[in-house]
Amino acid sequence: MSGAAIRCEGLGKRFDDTWVLRDVDLDVYRGEVLGLIGPGGHGKSVLLKCLAGLLSPDAGRVLVDGEDLARLGPLGLARVREQYGYVFQNYALFDFMSVRDNVAFPLRQQAHLPPAEIDARVAARLADVGLAHALDLLPRELSGGMKKRVGLARATVGDPAILLYDDPSAGLDPVTSSKIFQLIARMHRPAAATVVVSHDIDRMRSVCSRYVMLEHGHVVFDGPEAALADAPESVRAFFFGAAHKHLEGR
Amino acid sequence: MRNVLVGPVSVVGRASMGLMATLGGATMLLGRILRALLPPRFDRDEAWRQLYAVGVKSSAIVMVTALFVGAIMVIQTAFYVQRTGATSLLGFGVGFTVFAEIGPILIGLMFSGRVGANNTAELGTMVVTEQVDALRALAIDPIGYLVVPRFIAMIVMMLMLMALGDVFAIIGAALTADTLVGVDPSVLIGDILDSHLLDEYLLGLGKAFCFGVSISVLSCWYGLGVRGGATGVGRAVNNSVVANAAAIFFIDFVMGWIFPVGL
Repeated sequence: MSGAAIRCEGLGKRFDDTWVLRDVDLDVYRGEVLGLIGPGGHGKSVLLKCLAGLLSPDAGRVLVDGEDLARLGPLGLARVREQYGYVFQNYALFDFMSVRDNVAFPLRQQAHLPPAEIDARVAARLADVGLAHALDLLPRELSGGMKKRVGLARATVGDPAILLYDDPSAGLDPVTSSKIFQLIARMHRPAAATVVVSHDIDRMRSVCSRYVMLEHGHVVFDGPEAALADAPESVRAFFFGAAHKHLEGR
Repeated sequence: MRNVLVGPVSVVGRASMGLMATLGGATMLLGRILRALLPPRFDRDEAWRQLYAVGVKSSAIVMVTALFVGAIMVIQTAFYVQRTGATSLLGFGVGFTVFAEIGPILIGLMFSGRVGANNTAELGTMVVTEQVDALRALAIDPIGYLVVPRFIAMIVMMLMLMALGDVFAIIGAALTADTLVGVDPSVLIGDILDSHLLDEYLLGLGKAFCFGVSISVLSCWYGLGVRGGATGVGRAVNNSVVANAAAIFFIDFVMGWIFPVGL
């Protein structure tokens, strides 16, 4: 594992008068898959958006490869974001584009590759996620699981150095959820820093090497699963309770 | 006494603050659009898509509206023309009102209701479904990708639809004049041409340009500013339609004041 790809220092974010994140310190390293866990509504998705520069912090800062996102201009921010792949909780597929165009979009906008190469890479990535047959479908013609896989293909087609997954199994049945996590494991590159937000701790255990738990916007645990023995009772209860609940659900 | 005054004052204060926020936000958005145009940095495929969506799909409703505008102008003036026998004034009256006043306003309102409202709803839905965030996450500027093509498409198509609308308004006027007043279409069109209404025609196009700017900027501003889900989109569309209608009448007033014609 090499140096931190992303570093948060004293990160705080508020909406109106409510602080959603408070004093968050966090490092995400290249090569690791970090699991971001915690009860719903405690700031996980907001933290993920701050890591991607989609939300500006109200306190502290986010550094990507040592560069403070808040100090970058639009072009600098765009340059940093070219390293990112982001899978949104609600898919965020462009509904006026076919599956093919959705997945090709980042390559057409950023990579300036020949059209034939873009087509080949798109076809290969969609085959990876089991959607080779869906190239010309529109997002409204896809099931929830298929949309997730298209979102995953779009986020990873450019082989980004930083991959952020916002609740990739939300709303999916257990079988599809397992497939999504298998894909996350398969898509992970040793040089990439990956953050996965999910409540599906049982399946996260198959891909995550470290966990950060947020409660009321604070980091209450940061470490590998082995360190949970020394974690506060509430953290262990959440971690094993959530895992147990998922096991029962299967 | 104090309580009686505080209520209305706070209502006026809140409304003024809202108006200032809209004007300020829309002006800043216009600045960002102009900055993205120098040098031009926008997606050409998206611009073509918008030109088609805004222009081609709006042409039918604009043509129908314009036909009725011309017809209504003839109906309104037919009574006086028949009483006075001043049929040569029919062409001037129709041409003046269609080119400079009623034509631009009604076509602008139709355009605002069809294209502006649709644009606010589309962008608002993209905001609440995180598609705008997805663009930003892919290092793509939503202003350059989404707003600038719409801005260009609405201005270009508003001008073209205005020119098309003028033609159809004259057709509507000629057909109605022939049917109701017994004035031959060739006479009416000849009267319009003899009335030297170039200033009125250009004023109408100038208004159409300004309407295109205001409809595109306001509808995009309300769309990108959506908060919440479907309710937020509905509220934004409502605000966008009202603001665009108000802007159309205000622009019409200001331009009529600055560039008086027909005097």
